[in-house]
Amino acid sequence: MTAKTTASGVPYDAQGEMTDQARRDAAMKGFVKEFGAVAASHLESCVRCGMCSEACHFYVATGNPAYTPIHKLQPFEQAYKRHAGPFSPVYRLFGLVPSVTVEKLQEWERLIFDACTMCGRCTLACPMGIDIAELIKKARHGMFKAGLIPDRLQLMDRTARAWGSPATPAEDFADIIRDTGEELGVPMNVDRDKAEYLVTVAPAELTEHTKALADAAKVFNAAGLDWTYHTEGFEASNIGYLNGDLELQEKMTRKLIDCAVKIGAKTLVLPECGHAYGAARWEAARWYGGEVPVRVIHMTELLAEVVNSGKIRLKPIAQSATFHDPCQLVRRGGVNEAPRDVMKALDLKLTELENTKALTWCCGGGGGVVSNTRADPIRYKAFELKKREVDATGTQRFVTACGQCRITLNLGAKHFKWDKKVESLLELVADNLAD
Amino acid sequence: MTLLDFARGPALQAALVIFIIGALWRFIGALLLPWRLVPAQPREGSPGTVSAWLKGMAVKMWPHEPFAKHGAFQFINGYIFHVGLAIVVFLFVPHILFIQGLTGLSWPGLPNSFVTVIGVVTAASLVAALLHRLRSPVLQLISRVDDYISWLLTFLPVLTGLLATAHLGARYETMLALHILSICVFLIWFPFGKLMHAFLFAFSRGMTGVRLGQRGAEL
Amino acid sequence: MVTPQTLGEILEGRGVSRRAFLKYSSYLSALMALPPSMAPAMAQGLAAARRQSVIWLSFQECTGCTESITRSMSPTLESLIFDTISLDYHHTLQAASGEAAEHAREKAMADNKGKYVVVVDGSVPLKDGGLYSTIAGVSNLKMLQDTCKDALAVISVGTCAAFGGIPKANPNPTGAVGIDEIIKDKPVINIPGCPPIPEAMTGSVAYLVAFGKIPELDHLKRPKAFFGDSIHDRCYRRPYYERGEFAEGFDDDGARKGYCLYKVGCKGPVTYNACATLKWNGGVSFPIQSGHGCLGCSEPDFWDQGGFYRPLSTSMPGMGMALAGAAAVGAALGVGAALTARKHQQAYIREQAAKGDEK
Repeated sequence: MTAKTTASGVPYDAQGEMTDQARRDAAMKGFVKEFGAVAASHLESCVRCGMCSEACHFYVATGNPAYTPIHKLQPFEQAYKRHAGPFSPVYRLFGLVPSVTVEKLQEWERLIFDACTMCGRCTLACPMGIDIAELIKKARHGMFKAGLIPDRLQLMDRTARAWGSPATPAEDFADIIRDTGEELGVPMNVDRDKAEYLVTVAPAELTEHTKALADAAKVFNAAGLDWTYHTEGFEASNIGYLNGDLELQEKMTRKLIDCAVKIGAKTLVLPECGHAYGAARWEAARWYGGEVPVRVIHMTELLAEVVNSGKIRLKPIAQSATFHDPCQLVRRGGVNEAPRDVMKALDLKLTELENTKALTWCCGGGGGVVSNTRADPIRYKAFELKKREVDATGTQRFVTACGQCRITLNLGAKHFKWDKKVESLLELVADNLAD
Repeated sequence: MTLLDFARGPALQAALVIFIIGALWRFIGALLLPWRLVPAQPREGSPGTVSAWLKGMAVKMWPHEPFAKHGAFQFINGYIFHVGLAIVVFLFVPHILFIQGLTGLSWPGLPNSFVTVIGVVTAASLVAALLHRLRSPVLQLISRVDDYISWLLTFLPVLTGLLATAHLGARYETMLALHILSICVFLIWFPFGKLMHAFLFAFSRGMTGVRLGQRGAEL
Repeated sequence: MVTPQTLGEILEGRGVSRRAFLKYSSYLSALMALPPSMAPAMAQGLAAARRQSVIWLSFQECTGCTESITRSMSPTLESLIFDTISLDYHHTLQAASGEAAEHAREKAMADNKGKYVVVVDGSVPLKDGGLYSTIAGVSNLKMLQDTCKDALAVISVGTCAAFGGIPKANPNPTGAVGIDEIIKDKPVINIPGCPPIPEAMTGSVAYLVAFGKIPELDHLKRPKAFFGDSIHDRCYRRPYYERGEFAEGFDDDGARKGYCLYKVGCKGPVTYNACATLKWNGGVSFPIQSGHGCLGCSEPDFWDQGGFYRPLSTSMPGMGMALAGAAAVGAALGVGAALTARKHQQAYIREQAAKGDEK
């Protein structure tokens, strides 16, 4: 695993000992498996209007045409045309569409992984309704098989496969929970045999943001819910969902759901994490034949539930605030109103960002981009879009509902010496419970 | 056989045959691939499949506000030549009679002078679209030969049609033959390039409408 | 019969005043769209013209062209002009018949070698050695070739002689063709129409006689003076076309109001003739004015353009079947392509499963 450069001077990472030919073949096969009627309809439909570029934070922040979203799919589309499209036998026979070369795949690694957070804003802009974000996610499967993903993501993948989480080995999970509970004086439930609610966590909560573990516990306890954390199903952020390792995605999703079933839980609660929601709520059905046996909700939805049903009461904060809508939760996930219900209950006077809800600018760190340090320069440029908008609201508090967004935005703030603190909605609720 | 006889007869027939074969081949070939819309349980209260599909088609008729700022020219100009083309093709009496001859359907047309004006506006709009493509760095990166061929083959029927009715260029019969031949080439190219978006948009938009709509996400 | 007198002398002998003669020449030159200054030249030319020998050959024809030319409605002077050409052979108008008639033709050819004009109406069949139309046991083809050998020029009168006309219509069982497909070494003027407008015929002959040269012709060898504009461009109903007001049938409101006849099959836009300007029967009317669309009768293959009542912009008949067949083929190819791609995918998936979790 060393950083390489193509003949044309484009940096890329390559993992494993495969030959170029083997990588190319692996990518092609990975791509071809994805080409169903839906992907085909999308890939046939681009009219090269360029509207997607103006929706993408990376293009808008840098002005680099290479970050035009549909352009990032070029090798994927080429593979479709050559191998699965309706005219593909003719194209192959007469050489009308060439084979995707390994150089092209190497050049495109950074477009698929560094310059795309799979935020889906381009999907909303495309007049032909091409779900570009979804197709990038599919393309990553092939790239993963080819060993052409950013080294950092590969490292996290190995860790997750070995430990069950990129943050910590599964064996240590219960200790972390208990230690945190003791430290902060919050009663914790872990590894109970039966519970109504299985609560899961994101990796950042097991390392820097451990307070979140206690915050969740406080809320659940205050609401009087029958809940537990569990070693056999704790890691929710699902790195396989974003780095292209579909097998890992399946493994991690099954762990959560099977564990929930095992302990008789009716509800699986996902942490403040965007990709966790996309993976467990919207893609788990792939492996359960359409009928996932538990209800899957995001922490924000849980908070809205307990607030709206009066199970918990909150102290008013009475300050102005603005909210960053995590892409996978709101734009791709459909959880539009829950955060606003909670903020209202906290008496936070909400001033929406200029681009808000489904049209929010991505924080720039999703899809593994914040973990991929090679992408830092463009991520910081994208951050400036967010910073401008937040400053324009002139609000006192800046809140979000995803740990990765928080990390990304705080890294940006540090880089630009911006004094704004990015806060977690869960934390605000936990810290303002009225007893 | 004069050029006009050739154009109206064997050429048009061959072009229509190729058009139908190609379009059905491409359409069915793509849509008969495995259907894998992930069947997660839809969000409670979200629109049903059919209405989500239709909403997906409808919402894309105009860009969302943040995209409208930069996309306004393209959308407005796009509507001008799409609507203009539709008016010229479907509301000019000789064209209506052609369709009637093929299908038996007919409807009233517009006065010729009106159609001529629309034709000129459509041609100008197409030229503007080409200039925009040539001057945009994004479009220069992603554009392909297909984009230029499709443009040319859409532009030529408009141009030759205007020249024919205005009796400019060559003799009327020759201009008319060239007009019909330009339509033949357009029809032959149609299934193989981006002109197919005329049919595909319904599916691509609809599918995204369903995927996002069933999540309760905004389109 | 050949007369050594000039036309001017003949007319003078018959009491036609110089003034009347000049007036007629002006009328004739105006008819040909020649500038007024040409009138004296035409008068001079006509006056000095010797009686022109004309041999009129009739082949696969209906005699409609002869009927038309004899209706040439003009003052008595025109029939005098007609008299002043020496019509040495004409099936319908000549007195002689049988061998005497053929002998007259041969004599005229010999006496006026290189100077006589051949007028032809009717097409010539070529199939099976040309035996489908003969005169005095001689095929039209042979008679045409023999007669034109020493001719000055050939005038093909009527669409049959010009382009093959009705005998040539699908399936053309006799192999009929127009005259200029056979005669390649003499100047040919086509005066088509079914029949042609009388003045188109007489005016063109007068031009030839007066100036001794061929008038300006279009690409189909038709005199531009009579065939230079399409019916559509001179039609008095054109404003209705432009406004989109059409008769939908022959007895509807639009028909009674005299709307454009495009929808009931008028071929005006692609037909070149003088019907809309000179009209027929001395300017009384023409088909469109009488409520029927133009048949396009002065154009080649007018009989095979899909139908007199099918609008010009309709596709040619027989499209429906071809398109239905195309749909079947397209659907089959689409299904085949999808199945091939699916097989491709299944193979990869199986291969992946067989290799296990290889990474």
